[in-house]
Amino acid sequence: MAAVNSIFRSLSEFIDQLSAIHRMLPWLLAFGMLLPLPQILAAVFNDYYVYLANRICIFIMLSVGLNIVKGFCGQVTVGHVGLYAIGAVSAALISLHLGWSFWIAFPIGILVAGLAGVIVGLPSVRLEGAYLALATLGLGESVRIMIAVTPAFGSSTGLLSIPPPTIGSFTFDSFEKYYYLVMPAAMIGIYMSFSILRSATGRAFMAVREDTIAAAVHGINVVKHKLLAFVISALYAGAAGGLFAHMPPGYIHHNNFTIIEMVTLLMMVVLGGIGHIWGGIIGAIVVTVIYDQTLEFYFYQPLLFGLSMVLIVMFMPRGIGGLIDRYLVTRKFIAVQEEKADAAS
Amino acid sequence: MPLLETVGLSKSFDGLRAISNLDVDIEAGSIHGLIGPNGSGKSTFFNLVTGVYQPDPGSKIFFDGHDITRSPSHQIGALGIARTFQLLRLFSEMTVLQNVMVGYHTHVPYGFLSTIFNNSAIIKKDAETTDEMMELLEFIGLADYAGMPASELSGGQRRLLSLGRAMAMRPKLLMLDEPAAGLSPVNVENLLAIVMSLKERFGLTVLIVEHILKVVMETCDTVTVLDYGEKIGEGTPEEVKDDHAVIEAYLGQEMDDDEVRATFDS
Repeated sequence: MAAVNSIFRSLSEFIDQLSAIHRMLPWLLAFGMLLPLPQILAAVFNDYYVYLANRICIFIMLSVGLNIVKGFCGQVTVGHVGLYAIGAVSAALISLHLGWSFWIAFPIGILVAGLAGVIVGLPSVRLEGAYLALATLGLGESVRIMIAVTPAFGSSTGLLSIPPPTIGSFTFDSFEKYYYLVMPAAMIGIYMSFSILRSATGRAFMAVREDTIAAAVHGINVVKHKLLAFVISALYAGAAGGLFAHMPPGYIHHNNFTIIEMVTLLMMVVLGGIGHIWGGIIGAIVVTVIYDQTLEFYFYQPLLFGLSMVLIVMFMPRGIGGLIDRYLVTRKFIAVQEEKADAAS
Repeated sequence: MPLLETVGLSKSFDGLRAISNLDVDIEAGSIHGLIGPNGSGKSTFFNLVTGVYQPDPGSKIFFDGHDITRSPSHQIGALGIARTFQLLRLFSEMTVLQNVMVGYHTHVPYGFLSTIFNNSAIIKKDAETTDEMMELLEFIGLADYAGMPASELSGGQRRLLSLGRAMAMRPKLLMLDEPAAGLSPVNVENLLAIVMSLKERFGLTVLIVEHILKVVMETCDTVTVLDYGEKIGEGTPEEVKDDHAVIEAYLGQEMDDDEVRATFDS
């Protein structure tokens, strides 16, 4: 434990030093370190692991968005996967039928998902907790069923051969190349979530989660902030959807957007730490890797995930991020007290 | 002109009148006490003024020249009414510093879009706000706990924090709902000293609901007495003390002067 402590401390000191020089420096460093990842993965393992890295990046965008609305604003939504589907299908349809490039289809997909986010968020003005979960569950599932029964949206065959994005003559047509699209996108998403959640808006979200009456009395427009949280998370889901649709082999099917997928997403946020700024990111990485490593027990996976969700909620309600937070806060408090004791003596 | 004025304020729940036809004027710069037996409508009055409940038709509430009768809570807060809650309602999973930062929300000098497009400016402004809030925490004696979750504070510290959170709003009117409930006599003294110095420093008007009569009698300039949602007495603490209707409502029976004095002084 002492070794872990010292590693952790020197790491956080190093990051502090970097951000003292320029606050973007830790981000650039992380970005630079992630650049050679697909080559390393392909060399050490195989191409499948590069695909997995892409999936993790997409899941990070989804769970970071879900963490904003569920973890920070406290609105229990189970409709997030529906927004993901809306983003994916609208971006795919624009590319397929209008023949517009990815760079136009992608932002339009994000906007459409954002508009749908307002609709999914509207019940939150009146409903709370389990009732809100039911309402959003209905909306999310109806999106999937809509896709499943409408031939134009892919129906049972799915949407095929969605063209990969291109820049000039460069085409993102392999997992290794596509990584350089999703990784920066995920980094930008993480960076933006940090900026939002560390600002007054993030504090207002948390206040709404903790106590709506106290939040309102202290000057926070509760309805506005609830809807804002839903829209932001919908924008994230739309971006993830658009990236997922254009990822090689360019195929989406309504089975990608089932309630099981939603439970996996919730699992990421819960395991990573509800309302923890790193929660969605840690959760997305851990859950995707575990999910992948247990693929051979395919039939038992829902059981495994359901059981571990119950155990986490019971014994580790703040998730991995909560444990880290607790550790840091306690250490800081002890350090301050020690400093005071030193000064007094 | 009074800072807060209610005209014919009424509120009934399913036909049960919690407040009826209440006219209260709270003068700017005063410390106004609101007392009355349990269920006399004190907390309802607070909730009506801060927009948590909607008053019945025909009621009027004016604050600082604005009609706030139908305004939503967050607008009333922005106009300059801060309150504490009997059950505190702290943001318990947030840190002490974050709690007071939420109180500052209406004064935050940037909007949502700039959090994305102009993040460096925001970091600078938030650092300034943090300094200001740390000063406030220093003042109420919670600076050491700034990084701790509010849920880990002791009972007395939580009460101080709810006061600090309200003060972060830089209010014109501070409404305290039973600030001394559950505090030891020493802590009550401490809290009152803080309230008084805050009042001096920021030129506040204070409205206190309190069960501990000693607190009201010692600090308030004017006292309003409620019973069954109606005003049964108003005046300086001395006048109210001698008002027989008040004594009857509060104590329920005839007492001789010595007994009355003993009750109010204890």
